[in-house]
Amino acid sequence: MSATIALLGQPNSGKSTLFNALTGLRQHVGNWPGKTVEKKEGTFTHKGDTYSVADLPGSYSMSANSDEEVITRDFIASGKADVVCILADSSQLERSLFMLADYAGLSAPCFLVLNMADVAKKRGKKIDAKKIEQKLGIPVMLFSATDTKSYDTFYATLERALKEKSHINVSALEAEYEKIDGYQNIQQRISDCTIPGYTPMWLTVKTLEHDKVVTAKLKNALPDEVMEQIEQQTSGTETAIAAGECKFKWIDSILNGAVTETKTKAALGKLDRIYTHKFWGKPAVVLTVLFGLLASFIPALPVMGIGSGVDAVNAMIRSSMLEAGTSAFLTGLLCDVLIQSLSYVIKMLGFVFGVTLVFGMLEEIGAMARISYVFDNTMGKLGLQGKSVMPFLVSFGCTMGGAAGARVIDNWGQKVLTIALAWAVPCGAAWAIIPMLSTVFFGAGAPLLIVALLLVMILHMWITAIIFGRKLVKTEDKCGMIMELPPYHKPKWGALMRYVFGRTKDTFFRVVKVVLLVCGIFWLLSYGGSTGENSILEKVGLAIEPVTKFFGMPWQLFLAFIASSVGKEGAVGVITALYSGGSIGTAFSEAMAGGARAANLNELLLANVTRPEALAFIFAITFNLPCVVALAATYQEIHSVKWTAKIALYYTVSALLLGCIAYHIGLLIW
Amino acid sequence: MINMQKLLALLKDGHSRTVEMLAAELHTSADDIRRQIEYLEQIGAIKRIAFPKGNGCSGCTGCEGGTGCKGCMPANAESNMGEMWEVVSGN
Repeated sequence: MSATIALLGQPNSGKSTLFNALTGLRQHVGNWPGKTVEKKEGTFTHKGDTYSVADLPGSYSMSANSDEEVITRDFIASGKADVVCILADSSQLERSLFMLADYAGLSAPCFLVLNMADVAKKRGKKIDAKKIEQKLGIPVMLFSATDTKSYDTFYATLERALKEKSHINVSALEAEYEKIDGYQNIQQRISDCTIPGYTPMWLTVKTLEHDKVVTAKLKNALPDEVMEQIEQQTSGTETAIAAGECKFKWIDSILNGAVTETKTKAALGKLDRIYTHKFWGKPAVVLTVLFGLLASFIPALPVMGIGSGVDAVNAMIRSSMLEAGTSAFLTGLLCDVLIQSLSYVIKMLGFVFGVTLVFGMLEEIGAMARISYVFDNTMGKLGLQGKSVMPFLVSFGCTMGGAAGARVIDNWGQKVLTIALAWAVPCGAAWAIIPMLSTVFFGAGAPLLIVALLLVMILHMWITAIIFGRKLVKTEDKCGMIMELPPYHKPKWGALMRYVFGRTKDTFFRVVKVVLLVCGIFWLLSYGGSTGENSILEKVGLAIEPVTKFFGMPWQLFLAFIASSVGKEGAVGVITALYSGGSIGTAFSEAMAGGARAANLNELLLANVTRPEALAFIFAITFNLPCVVALAATYQEIHSVKWTAKIALYYTVSALLLGCIAYHIGLLIW
Repeated sequence: MINMQKLLALLKDGHSRTVEMLAAELHTSADDIRRQIEYLEQIGAIKRIAFPKGNGCSGCTGCEGGTGCKGCMPANAESNMGEMWEVVSGN
């Protein structure tokens, strides 16, 4: 005797495990004719009989939503299989029996394998296969494809199924379908031979579900006026929803009394009860993020120390070079450009490490998903859809990522607004240099400044939404989203650390390139030699200073602000060049005079820049346009020169304005 | 009104909900909600929100090749972000 078995099941029902266990090496893998869907066939012998097995492509149901499903359906209807083995996941029968419910009404005989019985047992579910078998009228067995011992039962059930050739008892299911408006009307017009292999019930349900392939086939088989009537009765999603509901009811009636489970309460976890709370959710999330950011200072501070060590070494090298008679130009190039830039980059790295670690950890434990839930309604208030939260979260890493992430928003106006707001979110580069500069200027006051910046960010986004929103978004009825929050879990430390170190390394090389380049250019432009004469750059700077002072910035910081539009790191390059470069004359003469120690850049900065000026500068570069590449990415996503330019101009002006306000507030404080 | 229509009607107020919240509001189990989501997605009444994989950030080495950005987010970040579905307009 020989027989053909077809394996049918949803993805993850354990179909492949069973197929591999049955056929071993006697497999043939190819493609279904004319399709790119993988075709797996194999053979096995049992008690002298040869069986061939067709592993049908995994699909959700028997509907024609994909090539996989059409192939599966055609194969079964063709009658090539003597018996169809339907697999279901025992641990979630409510869901996985959907395939069986959708199969009911096809003419090929079948049996049901409740796979992953071991998992179900562990979850406290007791399944009575005999009871299910009585209700269905086909052989039903509990099974664990991974357990070699359970294969004897499998072979026995298979033999029984081949002998009995039984079909699913569909009377209860059909009784449910008959309650749907229009079901009987359609069903009466279809006969057993309208399309061979499918029962009228099955075909009727597929028309209710708007199955394209079935509808097309019926069009060929039925008169036009009948088809018109059918199409009228099935328009809209209501009939499809009703048909699905019938299947669920039928599944529940099959499981009722056959499955007992020790109920594990589907209560929200303790943390989720806080995060998803109507009132406390937002403060809890904001505090979590703030606390995380402040915690990121902890790993950053020792690294700051190393950077300062480089400063000390730099000072030593400088004085010994000058003592040895090396030219001021070379000394400046090495000490002011190369080593000084390096010292800043190292100081930044600590913060890159800290912030990446914190955000990576929030991501890993599943907190980021909660954040997007909590701010869903806030997005609505900004005139955006809930899913805009995601581009904002991505923008904390990289604004370009945020712009690309806005692709999920179909409405153009909302997409533009989302990107415009995402610009206000400080990106990874900002998180590297802002805390570093804050620490240089304000020491222990830096964390407070970070908190202030974040609060201003929220305010900024709110105002920007009002300014741009009026033109970009119309108020419309919107539907809420359904969210499946991931379970909380401990971070996978290995993967997390690889990511954090990888990103820190990437940032290091990128930042070194930018800072060195910008610093080098500005140092050369400002290099006045030891003659004490003003360089061209200095002359220009002094000329524009009356204007820049209005925004609270000396000309050097203003140039750094301009450079930060290209890339935030550029600002550090400019500061390094202009503040240390300008001092070369003094340092030179000091060293010549036997001065013990050349001035350190930090001290120079603090001596030349007042606290209100520093405050103005930090606010201005934080909220300046993120970088030129982000500008390009924005254009790429919104395809509008006008709006890209508008947003860029708005950010430049508002950043200067924020700097100006910060400066005057600073004047009040200090 | 049948269950899946109740679910869609609930979302019309504009508030997003988690699977557990829907289960509580509709007096059913989370697994029942999950199978409803699967079905509604199949018939095109709701749509899974797919965030672009390679997000086009050129700022890190992980983005090269367009196979998803390893540098902007940890490797398995997507599974940690959970899943979202939105109602397809016109329903």
